[in-house]
Amino acid sequence: MAEQPHALPYGVGRFSHRFLILLAVLTGVVVWGLFAYAHQLAEGLVVKGLRDIGTMGGATWGLYVAFVIYFVGVSFAGITVAALIRLFHLDHLRPVSRMAEALTIIALILAASCVVADLGQPLRGIINLFRYARPQSPFFGTFSLVVSGYLFASLVYLYLDGRRDAALMARRPSRLQGFYRLWAAGYRDTPAERARHERVTLWLALAIVPLLVTAHSTLGFVFGIQSGRPGWYSTLQAPGFVVLAGVSGIGLLLIIAAIMRVTLPEGKEVHVGIFRWLGTLLLFLTVVYLYFMVAELLTTLYTGTRHEAEISRSLLVGEYAWLFWGSVTGLVLGALVLSLRFLPTNVQTRLPSVSPRWPVLLLIGALLLTGLLALQGLDLISPFSATTARWLASVAAVLALLALVLSLPYLSRNLVAASVIAGILVNLAAIGKRILIVVPSQTHGNLLPYGTGWYQPTWSEISIIVGLFALGALLYTLFFKIFPVMEVHAHEEGAA
Amino acid sequence: MARYAMVIDLDRCTGCRACMMACKVENNTPQANFWMYVFRFEEGHYPNTHIWFMPRPCMHCDNPPCAKVCPVGARYKRVDGLVATDWDRCIGCRYCEVACPYGVNYFNWKKPSKNYYLDWQAKDVQEVTGGAVPPYRNPDLDQPYGAERRRTAGGGRLKGVIEKCTFCVHRVERGQKPACVQNCPLFALHFGDLDDPNSTVSQLLRRKPSFRLLEELGTEPRVYYVGGHPPSSESHQIEEVRVRV
Repeated sequence: MAEQPHALPYGVGRFSHRFLILLAVLTGVVVWGLFAYAHQLAEGLVVKGLRDIGTMGGATWGLYVAFVIYFVGVSFAGITVAALIRLFHLDHLRPVSRMAEALTIIALILAASCVVADLGQPLRGIINLFRYARPQSPFFGTFSLVVSGYLFASLVYLYLDGRRDAALMARRPSRLQGFYRLWAAGYRDTPAERARHERVTLWLALAIVPLLVTAHSTLGFVFGIQSGRPGWYSTLQAPGFVVLAGVSGIGLLLIIAAIMRVTLPEGKEVHVGIFRWLGTLLLFLTVVYLYFMVAELLTTLYTGTRHEAEISRSLLVGEYAWLFWGSVTGLVLGALVLSLRFLPTNVQTRLPSVSPRWPVLLLIGALLLTGLLALQGLDLISPFSATTARWLASVAAVLALLALVLSLPYLSRNLVAASVIAGILVNLAAIGKRILIVVPSQTHGNLLPYGTGWYQPTWSEISIIVGLFALGALLYTLFFKIFPVMEVHAHEEGAA
Repeated sequence: MARYAMVIDLDRCTGCRACMMACKVENNTPQANFWMYVFRFEEGHYPNTHIWFMPRPCMHCDNPPCAKVCPVGARYKRVDGLVATDWDRCIGCRYCEVACPYGVNYFNWKKPSKNYYLDWQAKDVQEVTGGAVPPYRNPDLDQPYGAERRRTAGGGRLKGVIEKCTFCVHRVERGQKPACVQNCPLFALHFGDLDDPNSTVSQLLRRKPSFRLLEELGTEPRVYYVGGHPPSSESHQIEEVRVRV
């Protein structure tokens, strides 16, 4: 199709060799995830690292629940950004609008799959959650508001927002013409129709913004209103979920926008202004979340009811310290990288330039070490003693930090790269923080004097999560192979 | 309607854990699941130590956090006060388990038939048992109970659902006492109707000062302890059961 004189814009319908390889790899990972899930279905949840709270000394919710929150969190960015663009006429951000909408929808699909993966009786779950739904359960909000309401609203928004483009795309001959005609459903882009659409999407955007706050809050309330779990029982839980959702979502959106900018022939339409605006929003949200963390820790540590203090200790200096401080470092460094652009220009120019080769080399070293340690953590191979492993972990952390410091001058000059790095950092931190919200309150600080427990994810859990990520990437890329990622320009169409 | 409650006399408990055994036999619970669990506590430092024991069944709270959060109503409060689990309806989300401050819920992580202490299908075991396949399943456990006629009795049902102490609903509905109470050699456990002023539990609660676990959470447990004190930060478990499936 690439040879056609009037090829569709934004790489739609064009499948290059490299793209096909990507598809094959992603499909392979998805199949591996499916295999892991089949294994779990056959054997029961015993294949996961989860066990009962109490005498078994385990955590009954683990990675899956943490990633349910993460995926729902990522979905935040999408529709918020799209709705904000619509409500506040941020027209210069329009190019990321549809990327964001699709991100929301796919993230919500992944979140729903992750919930199903966590259920002991998935088939019953799908039936009984509707058949015997109880509004008194905090889960009701998760399913009604988040998965159904939010997903449905986002789908309608995506549909309405894309109708004009579908109509324009349907005008030119292609294999997908029928699909576009179906999507456009009689829309012809007359001024009257356009005005009507504007009106409808405005109201929908207005409705979506409160829905989004309530949706993320309900997920926070799943944890926040459980007085029997110290560490969860906190008023700050719901607002914290909303803010951290924004952090991870906008971080991921920045990464996706950068990928689109690099890979699409029309990539320059994702201009630097977008990164500047989204980066500032991300910086703001990250700082707010750090403030929340300080407020929460101070409350639990200062008055120190015994069980709350036990959990806080396990975070600050105990078993989860590496994850906690890793997450804090991720958020702080993310904020730091994002604020580089506020450096005065004369300082920026005076920074010594370092060849990007060094940071990349250091980073590869750090990643290799981390990979080895992760394999050891999963008990798949154990080449090191526990002490060596601890030392190597510090070495990996130092290498990664050094890589970041060395790349600071480059990042201060390249806003897009800085946004991507910040996006990766805050997303890793968000994942870490999600795990820290879910797990420690189950293994530590039990109100009855059970011993402290432990939770270690197994290969099966991790495979399913990785498979879900691959599924998301697959759906995302495929969607933008059949539908333009940005608005189609009417004048181009006129020429056609 | 009866208002069932359990009274546990800590002065009498010697930590023999016969109640744990009785519960496992009666309810066919899988390996590592202790619907009834007996804490063995030590307080103070050697040589000035004090050892005491605290049985922990499900508290059958009047304001059960587990039933509140169940998204499908599989966990529910019966009018007579029992907190029941309908394993026919449970979807295995384990929300009840994280909501419960007492840690009494047990999930069937794997197929319960594969999850007893002995593998009854194994050849060397079958040589001894002569091909019989214990564990013996009490047919009473398969009946529906309560006004709702829901299947709530017994354990070891199927993988992927939550189970917990039922107060032996199948025995209580026939006027018998729960297995743990019946089997306690020292009469430390008592079970009865709080609405009946002549029941042992009512008399005990009138006669002795009592406490309930984590009362400050507002869960209103139906299990009362007499003759002792609640565990504190000084109470350390000895011989902690740390078995996993």
